[in-house]
Amino acid sequence: MVIETEQIPFHEWILWASLNWLLVVAALAVTGLFLSSLIAVVRHGPARGLELTFRVVGSSFADLFCMSPRRVWALTWLAIKDSLRRRVVIVFVLFLILLLFAGWFLDPGSDHPLRLYISFVLTSTSYLVLLLMLFLSAFSLPADLKSKTLHTVVTKPVRPSEIVLGRMLGFILLGTFLLVLMGAMSYVFVARGLAHTHEVIPSSLKVVQPGDDAAKGDVPLKGKSTSVNNHRHDVALDRKGRGRLEMTQDHFHRVIRRKQGDKTVYEVGQPEGMRIARVPVYGKLRFMDSQRQEKEAGTNVGDEWSYRSYIEGGSLAAGVWSFEGVTPEQFPERLQVEMTLGVFRTWKGDIEQGIAGVLLLRNPKTGLTVEAKIFPAREFSTDVHQIARKLTPETVYYLKREEDSDGLVKKVKYVREEITGHRKSQYDLFDDLTDDGRLEIWLQCLDPNQYLGVAQADMYLRARDASFALNFMKGYFGIWMQMVLVVGFGVMFSTFLSGSVAMIATVGMLIGGFFRAFMIKLAMGETYGGGPVESFIRLLTQDNVVSDLPAGLRTTVAQTTDAVLQKGLLVVAKLLPPLREFDCAGYVAYGFNISADWIAEQGLTTLSFAVALFVVGYFFLKTREVAK
Amino acid sequence: MPDDVIIEARNLTKVYRDFWGRQKVRALKALDLEVRRGEIFGLLGPNGSGKTTTIKLILGLLFPTSGQVLCFGRDATDVTKNERIGYLPEESYLYKFLSAEETLDFYGRLFKMSRRVRRQRTADLIDQVGLTRAKKRQLREYSKGMTRRIGLAQALINDPELILLDEPTTGLDPLGTRDMKQMILDLREQGKTVVMCSHRLDDVQDVCDRIAILYEGELKELGRVDSLLKVHDVTEIHVRKLNEKAQQEIRQIIDREHGELVSMGNPTTTLERLFLDIIAESELHPGRRVRGAKDA
Repeated sequence: MVIETEQIPFHEWILWASLNWLLVVAALAVTGLFLSSLIAVVRHGPARGLELTFRVVGSSFADLFCMSPRRVWALTWLAIKDSLRRRVVIVFVLFLILLLFAGWFLDPGSDHPLRLYISFVLTSTSYLVLLLMLFLSAFSLPADLKSKTLHTVVTKPVRPSEIVLGRMLGFILLGTFLLVLMGAMSYVFVARGLAHTHEVIPSSLKVVQPGDDAAKGDVPLKGKSTSVNNHRHDVALDRKGRGRLEMTQDHFHRVIRRKQGDKTVYEVGQPEGMRIARVPVYGKLRFMDSQRQEKEAGTNVGDEWSYRSYIEGGSLAAGVWSFEGVTPEQFPERLQVEMTLGVFRTWKGDIEQGIAGVLLLRNPKTGLTVEAKIFPAREFSTDVHQIARKLTPETVYYLKREEDSDGLVKKVKYVREEITGHRKSQYDLFDDLTDDGRLEIWLQCLDPNQYLGVAQADMYLRARDASFALNFMKGYFGIWMQMVLVVGFGVMFSTFLSGSVAMIATVGMLIGGFFRAFMIKLAMGETYGGGPVESFIRLLTQDNVVSDLPAGLRTTVAQTTDAVLQKGLLVVAKLLPPLREFDCAGYVAYGFNISADWIAEQGLTTLSFAVALFVVGYFFLKTREVAK
Repeated sequence: MPDDVIIEARNLTKVYRDFWGRQKVRALKALDLEVRRGEIFGLLGPNGSGKTTTIKLILGLLFPTSGQVLCFGRDATDVTKNERIGYLPEESYLYKFLSAEETLDFYGRLFKMSRRVRRQRTADLIDQVGLTRAKKRQLREYSKGMTRRIGLAQALINDPELILLDEPTTGLDPLGTRDMKQMILDLREQGKTVVMCSHRLDDVQDVCDRIAILYEGELKELGRVDSLLKVHDVTEIHVRKLNEKAQQEIRQIIDREHGELVSMGNPTTTLERLFLDIIAESELHPGRRVRGAKDA
């Protein structure tokens, strides 16, 4: 799994996000006030129009800040009751039927069965719940307006804000309840679907050390297990009869040999290692060129996917990750480094062998550097390296940081210095190579003319695993946030549009939300081919997207128009919900823990959208004639 | 605004427009109106005369195109005024999936009422409108008359000072109509102010103290019912058991005094009165055909 989006720590994110939110809210408020004043002036004349606008703004403070929890709860209860009347429980029944028949088309014998199961339950849950909430939220208020039942409600001392909030809360509570039920069912489904055991085939067990036949049963044995779910395992037993069915399809089983009378039986446990939640500790990546001089990026090998930067092989070029929090408490036994590297070959070489890389550990304070591991980098798979706490490296030296400035640009360079005097035979990971939990890992490519491609998230230290069940819940939290946004948009649009139009508008926002990142990229001019007009010209003239258009009036007009359109596009894109970022099914399926930072950031993003949608919905309901 | 004036409309105008802002219909034209505390005020007029529009403007369900309407001295869009108002719409727009009990409890929760008071009030009102046996049934199973009665109960849940009734007797049978009218009169006895609109003249005549007659959005007449209906140049005498000779003498007196006899004879009762008498007698003596067989 490739994680392209860098996880920004919450304390860094919150400042930027709050500022951004305030700016957007202020811009929206000013635009809203201007437009509503304009409409009021056009409809009622300047004096009355402005008077009405200020009256609405004045009363909105009381409406928004003096809501009665009792009334909001009554309206929430009504929304839930109304939804239940519409037989929403059918969705849960539908989900149960889906789970019952899922066994027909989900293959537990696939290479990564957990991914398959998790993707299935999360996807089906999100489709069902989001669709349900879309219909409920978009059609509820318009139905009340059509049947005029809302007349009886608004003639009570109910504020429009309470009506909007009551609806939102009602649907959110109902959706939450459904998600909890579906989540519990899904967890049981995944656990049961993947539960299996094997039998050890006694005749397949062979003594590892030749010549010890006489002592069979007390020496290491290797063999095969029976096939279940389209796979079988290699069996490895130690002298005491304990061992495991080796890793296949992302899991292993523990096995123990017991004597029952004259017979020897092998007890095989349930699969392990499959339902995990790795806790990756990410570092900051920087690059060194072939002179060990710091630079912004590695070599560009012409890959259109610019996510990775490349390290030149057979040189001093390196990718350097700076980690923090590398402490014995966090990594008690060993340091587990996991990497997913890209490989770029300028010549074929030995495909089976892989491209050789080396991992160097460096103390950022003292500069002490040890060669920890030489390894063949494999493409399309995760390389796992265990680094013991006590290291006995063959190569040890200092990499000293040197700064040089030509008056304008500061250059940072690292220079190798050999150890003079006493050289220890063994180095301690924490005592010698870390400084207050800080550690640098340098990755170099050893094969000349070959390249290793890296991005910041490609290497991480694996800390102690988190709970899979909790991670599974976090996956559902991602769906919950999407549901909240669907409800928010649905209710907001339904305050001034008819049910079907409100639904289409909500779907439009959701689709826009999925393409938000691309729209921002387009608006910022970060895509090839220019803005909409320039791209259109390129389509007509069949111009290459990377070549500049010929200078002239046409290009100037196109690019000026694009600049204006791109500003508008940026505003629209910023208003769209970042729905893709809420989708964390991949994290759960691929066994990565969803961090607390992620939960806090996305949770706050959802809350801020929900608040904004509530306020906008309130203003629409407040300014419309309910009985018209 | 004087203390005893509950509703005050000044130059109240409502124009309905289409999506493009073009005028569709002028529903109300510069209406000036006052409703005083403790009276039953009737808005009378044919369909489309602006009665319901006036009530909706008072409630803030519609916004005036020009002019203003104040209720308890507050603007109609101020929701806090609704604490003191009860409203029975033309059709009882209630949630059909709720029972009578749930309906009243829900609307009660929208007011500052404790759970104990709410429950007591719910039980009292259900009893008052005669729905005790049907209180657990969903409103979808109710007849039109029952729905109307629960509609009235919800309008009274907050013990309001002002009750707005839009066509309160629509859909009710004569018995229901009588009960509704009696309830309206009882409300006045309790010191409540009632504003009702209707196109049924007898309803308005029976219960209203003052009326406003609207036609095509314009106020045509406003005043006390008794003074508006009073025919000043006609004298009416109702006498029981008067013989033919005495009747002849009365005719002579009228001639001598140069009066004009319009009619003299046995008056007829109203069909409503006849129907109510038959029902009352049937309840006293079930199974008996009470009268009229001979004439049939």
